[in-house]
Amino acid sequence: MVGHRQEAPPVSLAVLSQVLDAVRANSLWPLTFGLACCAIEMMAAGAARFDLDRFGAGVFRPSPRQSDVMIVAGTISRKMAAIVVTLYDQMPAPKWVIAMGNCAIGGGPFTYPGQYAIVNGADKILPVDIFVPGCPPRPEALIQGMLELQDRLTQGGRTNLLRRFARYPRRAEPGGRP
Amino acid sequence: MHRQALTEDTFYLNLGPQHPSTHGVLRLLLRLDGERIVECQPILGYSHRGHEHMAQNRTYLQFMPNPCRMDYLSGLMYNHAYCLALERACGLEVPARAEHLRVICAELNRISSHLLWFGAYLMDLGAFTPFLYAFDDREDILAILGLATGSRLTYSYCRFGGVRDDVGQDFLEGIRAFIPKMRARLKDYDTLVTRNVIFVNRTQGVGVISPELARAHALTGPCLRASGVGYDIRKAEPYGLYPELDFDIPVRAGGDCLDRYLVRVLEIEQSLRIIEQAMARLPGGPVKATGVPQFITPPPGLYHTSYETARGHLGIFLAADGTRVPYRLKFRVPSFGNLGILPKLLPGTLVADTIAILGSMDVVMPEIDR
Amino acid sequence: MSADFCQRLGRRLGQRLGAAALGQADYRRQGYHLRLELAPDHLRELAAMMAEEGCYLEYITAVDRGGHLELAYVFGRHQEACRLLALAAVPKGQGVLSIAGVFPAADWQEREVFDMLGQRFIGHPNLKRILLPEDADFHPLLRDFQAGPELGGDEMEI
Repeated sequence: MVGHRQEAPPVSLAVLSQVLDAVRANSLWPLTFGLACCAIEMMAAGAARFDLDRFGAGVFRPSPRQSDVMIVAGTISRKMAAIVVTLYDQMPAPKWVIAMGNCAIGGGPFTYPGQYAIVNGADKILPVDIFVPGCPPRPEALIQGMLELQDRLTQGGRTNLLRRFARYPRRAEPGGRP
Repeated sequence: MHRQALTEDTFYLNLGPQHPSTHGVLRLLLRLDGERIVECQPILGYSHRGHEHMAQNRTYLQFMPNPCRMDYLSGLMYNHAYCLALERACGLEVPARAEHLRVICAELNRISSHLLWFGAYLMDLGAFTPFLYAFDDREDILAILGLATGSRLTYSYCRFGGVRDDVGQDFLEGIRAFIPKMRARLKDYDTLVTRNVIFVNRTQGVGVISPELARAHALTGPCLRASGVGYDIRKAEPYGLYPELDFDIPVRAGGDCLDRYLVRVLEIEQSLRIIEQAMARLPGGPVKATGVPQFITPPPGLYHTSYETARGHLGIFLAADGTRVPYRLKFRVPSFGNLGILPKLLPGTLVADTIAILGSMDVVMPEIDR
Repeated sequence: MSADFCQRLGRRLGQRLGAAALGQADYRRQGYHLRLELAPDHLRELAAMMAEEGCYLEYITAVDRGGHLELAYVFGRHQEACRLLALAAVPKGQGVLSIAGVFPAADWQEREVFDMLGQRFIGHPNLKRILLPEDADFHPLLRDFQAGPELGGDEMEI
C-alpha cells in the first residue's frame, strides 16, 4: 500500500527547482488531521505560545487537496489505516509526511505481543520523511521536525533564502563542523 | 414534518473521520433533506487501540500509563481514578499531603481541559481569537503541572498509595500567580464570548436535552448538569479530599448548547476555589504510603470506582482474580454515553447546528474507542 | 437518605426476583451498594424496574469465565448514591434479551459487549460491531483470543 513517490519532472532546471523548493519549504501547509493525544500538541504548536506560523507552516488546511505535509499525529488503528492512505493519496504532489509521536513511529506503547488493534507505525503504510519522537512530543519537537523537513527540501538549508537571513544558526552539515 | 420528505430528495453526507470539527476521528453518516438532518448514524472505532485487551496482558503497575492516554485532556484525572480503583480494592491509605496534591493537580487538569474545549468549540463556531487566548492560559497550567509531574499531557503522577514526587516551592508559587490571572481572564472571556450575539444565536435553544432524555441516555458531567440535574460524583460519592472542601456544582436548566457552555465556564471558577482551599490547607508530611508492595495484587472480587472527569462520570470496573494481572478491566467512559444521544438529538436540526451540538458535548474520541 | 432508598430497592428486588440472590455489598471496599445475581431471563424485568425507580444505566460489561460469560449490569442514581451491580451468568453462544427498549443507553453498551465478547442480544435494533471494523471475525476480550500474525500481533515485522 506504499504511496507513489514523486516522479522526476520531464525538464529539470536546477536553479528554478531550487527556488521553487525554497518557496515550498517556507510555506508548508499541514493537513488538519489528528488521530490521538499528539493532535493536542500539534494544536498547541499552532497556537499562541509556539506559533508554528513563524516558520510558514501554520496554515492548517482541513482539505487534503490544499495541503503539502501530512502530520500523522497519533495512533493509526487498523480501522483508520485505509483512510489515512486515502487522505495521503488525495494530497497533490509534492507532498511529505511527518510521523509525530511514538505511535506513528512504531506503535509506541500499544505494541506488545498479541495486540490486534493498531498499525505498528506510519511507515508501514506511508512514505515517512521525518520522525518526531515523544509520547507525546513537545510542540518544540514538532517545530524542529518542520525545520528538519525544510532543510531537507533545501539542501540542508543552504538554498533556503529566508533561513539565511534569520537570526537562528543554520544546521550543521552531517559529519561536518557545527 | 421533515421525516415525511420524499425519499429521492434525501441524500447522505459523510462527516469525518478526519473532519476538523469532529475532534479526532468520529465519523457521522448523515442523511439529509436539503439542509435538514433526517438521520444521523455515528460510526466509532477509528481510534480503537485495545486498552482493555492490553490491561489483561499487563500487571497493574505496567498498565499505569494507559488510562491517561484514553482521555488525554483529563489525563491526570484518569490516572487519579485508576489509582483510586486499586487503592479501594487493596485497602491502601493515602497520606494527607498526597491527597491535597492530587486534588490540586486534578482540578488544574480540569481547567486546562475546559479551556481547550472552550478554544476548540469557539473555533468550530467560526471564532479564532478565543482559541489563541485559551491556549495561552492553558500553557500556564501545563507549565505548572510540568513542574510537579514532568509532562505536559499524559501525566502518570499518581502512584498506588500516593504521588510520584513532592512538589517544590516553584509549583506552589506558580499556582498562586495563576489563580488571579485566570480570574481576570474569565472576565475577558465573558465579555468576548458569552454575550457575543453571534455566539448566543448559534447556541441558544440549539440541541435541547430534557432531563428525562439525559437520564435515559446516561448522560453525565456538564452535559447532564446543563439539563438541570445536579449530579456530580465529587458530591454524590465524594472521594479523596472533596468531602472536606467547599464548592458548588453549577447547574443550568435550559439543556441547550449555551447552557453546556456556561456550565463549563462556571466550573472553571469552582475549580479555582477548590485549588485555593487545598493550597491553603496543604499539610506537610510524606507523599507516599509506606509498605505498598512492588506487585500490587487485589483480592479476588468485583470492584467499581466512580470518578468525575472533565467530561463526566468515569467508572472503572475491575474483576480481580488474585494475581498481578487484571482479569478484566472495563472503563465506563463519560463520552460514550454523551455521544450516544446524537442519533436522537440531531434529526430535524440543520447541518450547521450539527457542529454546534457535537462540539458542545465535548467528546474525546480515543476515550470512546479505547 | 441513601441507605433508605437502597434498602427499599433491595427489598423490592428481593420480592420480585428472589431474595436469596440479593446480597449487600461493602460500598467502601467494592464501590456498589447492592449486588444481585439473577437468571438471564429476568434481565428485562430488572431493567423495567430500575427505570421505574428512576435509576440510570451506567454501563453493561461482561467477564469471560471460561464456559460462560458473566454479564454485569450497573445501575446508578442521580438523587442519592445507590449503585446496583446485577450479574447474570450466560453460557457462551446463548443470547439474552436486549434492554435497549427500556434504556436507550443500552443500545451502544450492548453493541460493545457483542463486539468485544461476542454476546448476542435478542431484540436489539442494530446489533453490529461498534469499535472494531465490521469485517472483523474475532472478539478480542475472550480469554482464548490470540492475535494471529495477520494482525501483526505476534512480533513487529521490522
